[in-house]
Amino acid sequence: MSDDPIADLIAKCAAADRAAFRTLYRDSSAKLMGVLLRMLKERAEAEDALQEVYTRVWLRADRYDPAKGRGMTWLIAIARNLAIDRLRARPEGTSDDGLDTVQDSAPRAETRLVAQGEARRMSDCFATLDPDKADAVKGAYLNGLSYLDLAARHAVPLNTMRTWLRRSLLKLKECLDQ
Amino acid sequence: MSDTPLTPREADDALAAEYVLGVLDASERAEVAARIKREPIFAARVLDWEDRLAGLNDGFAEARAPKLLPKIEARLFPKAAPTRRFGVVGWLSGGLVAAALALVSITVLAPPRPAPVAVLATADNRLAYRVTHFGGSLQVTRVAGVPAVAGQVHELWVIAPGASPVSLGLLEDRPLVVSYPVPPAGFVLAVSIEPEGGSPTGAPTGPVILTAEIGAT
Repeated sequence: MSDDPIADLIAKCAAADRAAFRTLYRDSSAKLMGVLLRMLKERAEAEDALQEVYTRVWLRADRYDPAKGRGMTWLIAIARNLAIDRLRARPEGTSDDGLDTVQDSAPRAETRLVAQGEARRMSDCFATLDPDKADAVKGAYLNGLSYLDLAARHAVPLNTMRTWLRRSLLKLKECLDQ
Repeated sequence: MSDTPLTPREADDALAAEYVLGVLDASERAEVAARIKREPIFAARVLDWEDRLAGLNDGFAEARAPKLLPKIEARLFPKAAPTRRFGVVGWLSGGLVAAALALVSITVLAPPRPAPVAVLATADNRLAYRVTHFGGSLQVTRVAGVPAVAGQVHELWVIAPGASPVSLGLLEDRPLVVSYPVPPAGFVLAVSIEPEGGSPTGAPTGPVILTAEIGAT
């Protein structure tokens, strides 16, 4: 067994182990529910999405490669992708209070980030970006904001936002990959 | 990007990051999803970004999940007897394709070895895919007909009862082999026509031309 119990459970799911699937749900559903609720904002939709996420997890478990990342990272990527697809399928202009949630959760995220070395490097690298741009990256990641939302929030044209963000992401990469 | 333009490598990396962040609109996102399917190098960049940004996942607070497991299990593990054979046809959106569909019993075709768990075929058998299971994998082989016309591709989907279709891959000239420890009886397999590289949205976008229930024989 590895030091990544979630990864072990996913591997067992790939071998059609239903008991492992139940354990995986027990151990990861609160986190994934948190992701879906934060991004989709509506409880009924988040619950529906959660069922879809675990369906996908079971059906795609054999594609998970523990050499490419932690089990929880893989699960969250599935949940985020589903949430983003659903958000982008909503009619434009329906995304709402992203700004509030960015702000009230940021301190909590920040304090928790200090806990681990890897996460500390992440916050150090974010600190190399302009605060505005760091907020934009985090807001997009955690709240599912689109370029359209970000441009409106930061009161800049969409293309400017895009140029900013692309540069910031590449800068972030340079720092994180060191 | 009027100042120093990004190199192609940087532009690809930025696009992968934008996809992972989720900032793209629906159509851009669909284009990137299609690239991920057909370009392993690009797909690896996307995975790198998922990993790189994973530190932000601490920002998601946990929330008590409702007890959805029984519903999910009922979806994934239907009881042994095949349930309503047409239960999932709802999402196929009816009339357009229904006429073209046929659930062909395995006895129609010469029994191959090992026995197929499903056969996806048109009513006239001019296009047929045989699905067998052995060695922990489903193998899907075209036994009649030709692949989709240039610029299009046949994509295989699996649908758990009550769930949305999940892509198993593209049906091209070689047999498609999908790791699948136990053939999921009661699930439905479907083939749709998609643009080259596969459905850009992760759900069937073109007409569904074939369906069959696994083990419904």
